[in-house]
Amino acid sequence: MALGPETWRLAFKLVVRQPGRSALTMLGLAIGVGAFIAMVSFGEGARRSVVAQFEVLGTNLIKLQTFNPGSNPRPAVPLTDADVRFIQREATTVARVLPVARRNAAVAFGGEQRATWINGVAPGYLGLHSWELEGGGNFDQTDLDERAKVCVLGQSNVRALFGDRDPLGETVTLAGTMPCRVVGVLSEKGFSTNGNDLDDIALVPYTTYNANLTDRATYAYVEVEPTNKALVDAARDELTGILRRAHGLEGDDPNDFVASSPLEVIRAADRTARILGTLLASIAAVSLLVGGIGIMNIQLVSVAERTEEIGVRAAIGASPAQILTQFLVEGLILTLIGTLAGVTLGIVVATVVAESMGWPRVISPSGVGLSATFGVAVGLLFGYLPARRAALLDPIHALRRE
Amino acid sequence: MLANASPTGAPVIETRGLTKVYPNSVGGVPVLAGVDMSIGHGEIVALRGPSGSGKSTLLNILGCLDRPTRGAYVLGGSDVSALTREEQAWVRLHYIGFIFQSFHLLGHATALENVTLPLHYAGVPRAKGEQIGRDLLSRVGLSHRHEHFPTQLSGGERQRVAIARALTGRPPVVLADEPTGALDTKTGAEIMRLLLELRDERKTSIILVTHDPEVANYADRQIFLRDGRVVDRSEVPDGARS
Repeated sequence: MALGPETWRLAFKLVVRQPGRSALTMLGLAIGVGAFIAMVSFGEGARRSVVAQFEVLGTNLIKLQTFNPGSNPRPAVPLTDADVRFIQREATTVARVLPVARRNAAVAFGGEQRATWINGVAPGYLGLHSWELEGGGNFDQTDLDERAKVCVLGQSNVRALFGDRDPLGETVTLAGTMPCRVVGVLSEKGFSTNGNDLDDIALVPYTTYNANLTDRATYAYVEVEPTNKALVDAARDELTGILRRAHGLEGDDPNDFVASSPLEVIRAADRTARILGTLLASIAAVSLLVGGIGIMNIQLVSVAERTEEIGVRAAIGASPAQILTQFLVEGLILTLIGTLAGVTLGIVVATVVAESMGWPRVISPSGVGLSATFGVAVGLLFGYLPARRAALLDPIHALRRE
Repeated sequence: MLANASPTGAPVIETRGLTKVYPNSVGGVPVLAGVDMSIGHGEIVALRGPSGSGKSTLLNILGCLDRPTRGAYVLGGSDVSALTREEQAWVRLHYIGFIFQSFHLLGHATALENVTLPLHYAGVPRAKGEQIGRDLLSRVGLSHRHEHFPTQLSGGERQRVAIARALTGRPPVVLADEPTGALDTKTGAEIMRLLLELRDERKTSIILVTHDPEVANYADRQIFLRDGRVVDRSEVPDGARS
């Protein structure tokens, strides 16, 4: 007999004979499998949603900043023009190097004057930081090379100094000494999450800034874009090495700068989300286990109720192995149907929740496969005990019960 | 495993010093205390004796549902007194048919499914098994009851289904435990006549446990048990003879 189609047919008949009982047996497992799939999907969906939010920051930028570790007896060494040139000359993984110099100084026009942030930047700065131009244009490489006295103003400065007038083509005075032609006006960005007025800004070419607005060419930070996104880590390592050489650091000397990347923030967020996902999946795995115990309980009741039947089958000549097989197959059918129902349930729940939360619906075949495998394994494991009990029933006692 | 039962001379069942002691029985009193018996091919033997005489235990051992503590049980030429559970099941499947007082049909299975159940366990293909089952159901007079469930059948009809089931595997031995006990006298007599006919047709040996002297009279021979021993008829008082 073994596992012939007849065994399956008979077992299936027995399952169908008591649809209510069978449904109840499967329910726990179905919920367990469904919960597992849904939880894995939630975790993955939430993770991707969080990562997507961080990716807006520009994942492929490396930010170099001066840094004085507490243990370092030497004073912090600012990043200089020499550092920038050294990087441009040495680095092989780098597409663009964008230094940013920055100070708080006055901007004046026609008798009005206010303090603002003056940033000395490269033309690429606007694109990297998602600045839009409301009017005029950006300064370009020629302006940079020629240290042109041009600037692009943020909305706060435009409003305060010009009111309703058009600032384009007008000349403002920066830091009380440098006349500067307004070539562009930035679109409004509003306030940052920590309350800074992002529009309180004036951008000039960094060469112009170095020549006119500071007595030493140092940078608040330098942004570096690698030749492609996959090279972020390699570029960071290379930059670290180059800067260490530029600063004459040797052996165990700690870095006097920091090379950071939004990628790290994203990775941290990714890790957090993964931990959360694992947690959710573990809870769902427990419910799967409980579902398996449900199968065991109801199958045990079923074996007890069918004692006479088992005794008759044994007396007729069914071997313990055949009786074991019969109950195992019954359990397997319940398990398979329950798992299938669970997979359906899980996909439906995952879809509904993903749509209402507005994150991507992620149902990985491997996640579904894993939970289905787990479900069937749990069902078989917990179906085995009742089946064994049935196989070990003494037919004499089983038949005496009337 | 077992030699094919020879239709001649040698008995189909032979026991020598069959003893059964239950580990928890009071003072180690044996339920069976050395039973010697021999049953030939095609013989109908009535097993009689008062309650507690050891009839049920003997029947369980003869049916390979239980094992003797000591002694030999030779079935169809082979000693089957110390088999494993799997081996016992194999012997029951191929050598023994059971008929019970309360029929013990599977309630959720039709008459035909009940009858073909042993063939399922013997690995006979379904179509062939159903042919055998239909023929046997017709033989016991239930040609039009194949698809009926036990609850739709009368007691006599149920016992006919059970008899058909006991015979599907063509076993050399049928053990009938009070086969008429749940039936009225007339139906019981019909069942006994059917058993006699089937014995004549198939040369099946039948061991019949019964309280009813009239039923016992259908047997070729009667064996009386008392206190776990085979005794002469005269040793069993009439009142306790049952």
